[in-house]
Amino acid sequence: MSRTSNQQIALRAEGLSFAYRETDWILKDICLSIPSGQITIIMGPSGTGKTTLLKILAGILIPSRGHVEVFNQDIANQPQRSMASLIGYIPQQLGLVRNLTALENVLMGALGRCGNGRALLGLFPREEVRKAEAALDLMGIAHKTNEKVFRLSGGERQRVAIARTLLQHPRVVVADEFVSDLDMALALEILSRIRLAAAQEQITFVMSMHRQGLVREFAENVVTLREGHIAPGFIPAISQGSAVVELLQ
Amino acid sequence: MKTNLLITAFVTLLLGIVLNELGFFDSGKLIRGLRNLGILTSDMVPPDFSVLPVAGRALWETVLMSFAGTLLGFLASLPLSILGTRNLFPTILSSVARFIAAAVRTIPVLLWAIIFVILFGLGPLAGTFGIAAYTVGYLAKIYSDLFEGTDPEVVEAVGSTGASKLQLVRFVFLPEGANAILTQLLFMLEYNIRASSILGFVGAGGLGFVMQVYLQTLEYRRLASVLLLILVVVLAMDGISAWIRKRFLLTAQA
Repeated sequence: MSRTSNQQIALRAEGLSFAYRETDWILKDICLSIPSGQITIIMGPSGTGKTTLLKILAGILIPSRGHVEVFNQDIANQPQRSMASLIGYIPQQLGLVRNLTALENVLMGALGRCGNGRALLGLFPREEVRKAEAALDLMGIAHKTNEKVFRLSGGERQRVAIARTLLQHPRVVVADEFVSDLDMALALEILSRIRLAAAQEQITFVMSMHRQGLVREFAENVVTLREGHIAPGFIPAISQGSAVVELLQ
Repeated sequence: MKTNLLITAFVTLLLGIVLNELGFFDSGKLIRGLRNLGILTSDMVPPDFSVLPVAGRALWETVLMSFAGTLLGFLASLPLSILGTRNLFPTILSSVARFIAAAVRTIPVLLWAIIFVILFGLGPLAGTFGIAAYTVGYLAKIYSDLFEGTDPEVVEAVGSTGASKLQLVRFVFLPEGANAILTQLLFMLEYNIRASSILGFVGAGGLGFVMQVYLQTLEYRRLASVLLLILVVVLAMDGISAWIRKRFLLTAQA
């Protein structure tokens, strides 16, 4: 709690509530601050609102009440293109276009910087292609660059999704349960690459996860959701790490 | 269980009433029809293949009309279907686009051919435009529905990269729908080849004119060879479609 004040806050949510119907609240008065440059993991039972919270933090869903700031800027006032340079989003099923190659999918991370001209013909600037290839290389799948996504394994797709988000050059990456379908060894490898990217590029990662072992290994901060509320306190095994999420509840 | 039985009984009763209304239980008429079918069939064999050079040329015109009409219709249907995609554009815009597609679709292809014969005169140009018009109405509706069914996670993920609407269409909606787009296009081409063989009845070019002449002059053996020719083309088209599907569609789903 006290360390947060010395550290830049990447995401701040205040009084977040969300409901599709007035009587059926999925999130209720969520307040949290997520420190910059670290891996924050959101935990909680199924159906407790993790995906909804992540979508609101990524600016995809508009909250019924409350607001979100990314690096002190209210995301409600951000044009779509400038949001793209602040927050990248990886959904649970990754959101890849299966009929395009790994490289084409990664290049989509650069769409916010490219106009409607040559990019629409699939002609990206040479520099963007080079960066996309470098991102695939960083993820260890340079040899699959021209493979269509539907031919890739689950782990390879995971890496393509991360590479796409890295090419976006966001300051925050929001990822929803995106290693949940992988076996432990592969999940460890993917998360290690994320930790490396977070350190190298100073990116803040916010992700939901349910495997306690992975959370212990990788989380620098943990937020636990229960029935649409933030549950007080941290998981004990983690509190010995650098748990610095400020719970304003 | 009881509800299912009631529904089955109701549908059966409804079907019986409709069929009766249409004269389906008029045994005298049915027997007379079957007897005429026998006479017509015997008048058609053996087919007279001496007309093949004439029919072949007309058939070639029909195939060209279908191909050009389908392609023109397909190209026009893409922007209309994209504008009609409700999760991409404001409701007012998508409603207008869908209304245009519905209005175009309401008019059958034969009527479109008559309209274009009035506009452009007799010949294959009218037929080509007729086919294109019907194709626009049909494909625009199918493609709009297809685009609306695109996985929202993919749209959200690519949308969060700052992609514009046009970029979303180019990089998400079109490639995600590629399988169905191609399948429907091939179906439309097959359909148009069959449908356009009758456009000549209204002077819109192609095989229909030859068929009409043989029908009016009661030359059923010649008509039979024309029908066989159409069958060969439709079967060939089936084969080509199957090859294209196998060659270009996603083969591994996960």
